[in-house]
Amino acid sequence: MLVFIYIPVIQNFIFSLYRWSALDPTWDFIGFENYIRIYSDEIFWTSTINNIWYAIISVVVQIFFALVLAALIESKILSRQFGNFFRTSLFLPSLLIVTIVGVTWQLLLRPDIGLVNQMLRAAGLGSLTHAWLGEEVTAIFSIIGVSQWQWTGYVMILFIVAIQAIPKELYEAAIIDGANGIQKFFNITVPGVRETTLIMATITVIGAFKVFDIVWVMTAGGPNHASEVLGTYLYRSGFRNDEMGYASALATVLFMITFVLAFIQLRLGRSGEEL
Amino acid sequence: MDKSTSLSKRPTVLKSIASRPVDFANRIIIYILFILLTIISLYPFVWLFLNSLKSETEMFEQSWSLPTVYHWDHYARAWEFGISRYLLNSFLVTVLTVLLTVTLSTMAAYALARFKFPGQTVLLFFILGGLMLAPEVSLIPLFRILVRMGIYNTYFALILPYTAFGIPFTTFLIRAYILGLPKELEEAARIDGAGAFAVFRHVIVPLSRPIIASAALLQAMHSWNEFMFALTFLESDKLRTLPIGIMSFVSTLRTEWTVVMAGLVISAIPMILLFLLTQRQFVRGLTRGGIKG
Repeated sequence: MLVFIYIPVIQNFIFSLYRWSALDPTWDFIGFENYIRIYSDEIFWTSTINNIWYAIISVVVQIFFALVLAALIESKILSRQFGNFFRTSLFLPSLLIVTIVGVTWQLLLRPDIGLVNQMLRAAGLGSLTHAWLGEEVTAIFSIIGVSQWQWTGYVMILFIVAIQAIPKELYEAAIIDGANGIQKFFNITVPGVRETTLIMATITVIGAFKVFDIVWVMTAGGPNHASEVLGTYLYRSGFRNDEMGYASALATVLFMITFVLAFIQLRLGRSGEEL
Repeated sequence: MDKSTSLSKRPTVLKSIASRPVDFANRIIIYILFILLTIISLYPFVWLFLNSLKSETEMFEQSWSLPTVYHWDHYARAWEFGISRYLLNSFLVTVLTVLLTVTLSTMAAYALARFKFPGQTVLLFFILGGLMLAPEVSLIPLFRILVRMGIYNTYFALILPYTAFGIPFTTFLIRAYILGLPKELEEAARIDGAGAFAVFRHVIVPLSRPIIASAALLQAMHSWNEFMFALTFLESDKLRTLPIGIMSFVSTLRTEWTVVMAGLVISAIPMILLFLLTQRQFVRGLTRGGIKG
């Protein structure tokens, strides 16, 4: 089975040194020419920047915001039934197939009948309406937003479980010492979920560079490549434009990026040693 | 001394804090925040469902209101127009992938946890390394391998890669669990003359049932939702799984939005149903794995 995972990485690198296509049997060895082309390829840089935005926003929302929400639910400020209800409702979007999410939000973001613009108009903010997925500036951020909609509740649940594992005595002692909610959050909750935070941060950041599906469903990288990410650009180069060598080179770059990120985060999170 | 008495009085302490006016205001703000977030989370579901029942013109003109006539026939049409086919494909691929992954991984996990053999650490790192990899990286080579093996555009073009990508994590998860099991039972079984395989079948597998269930759930969610391989390794519409099937369903029904919406609702049901029926186990299963698609 490992044939399916490891050999491809090496093959991929070898493929990237050629100019070749799926239909044409000729392979031209061109050395590192594909990589030179990547370096001066504007779409590549747009994609990378979009991936970086994806990572930053996802970390802020899915790590910080989700952790705050989890702490609020666990702080017993909400009644038990409400807490459970909120938890379940926020979790539900993560159960949807990405295509369902993508198509539904395509409809909600439509300039004419889409709910988002209608709400803005109803709130007197008509000037803020956009053709969300049709404009170059808003397309990628709309997609990132939808992705937060889908995943924040999921991460929140993981944090709730992590918070429940923190010994209750710590909180009781803090209450006696007169700590307020915010102090408890920073002094007990945050250190208590350190491990989960590191794992989630790693997965979220690497996930932001691997992203393909939601972008492909919602805009396929358009308009005019403005919402392209590395995953979609790679796919388009290989399977739409039939430039397999170039796509392999992009894949190698993506591999390097995720590899370096994983390595950095493993170093930062030395505590996660269970081996 | 003082501390222990106030500890036992904790409920009253809490109550007195909660009844202060500032906390009351905070509480209201927090409730409003959560109610708002819940609306944002759930309203798209409600909107989708309500509009799937409206007539086409009504959906365009009044997408906020309740339908005047309930068009349940949209569901029948979506079902016949391909959704049933895609559901079946998704189901087949998911079940086979889960069976294959879990069987192989449990055996591998047992071997890694309990036996010493040369190259073990290398093998473990080999498996773990598979966790880091972006699937995009192997897309093109995998495509070529599948074509050459003659299974491109068959169910196996999805089942084999899903299994290969699932094994590392699943093995890792189950191995950690087996390491935590007491060895006495296994030793007792061995004294009774059980071989390695018998121990595996009659001791390890039953004891590891909870983690196997978690692993199966995570793998099932992955194959149910997987998009990129499903897009690349299948081309005939008859074989498509839901994620890609919905896309072609949407593009063939371009103008019939309400039927499209009915199709989306149908496709969303299986996972949500599974979750609602097994809520507690479901969440436990997820958090044991702690990863997302």
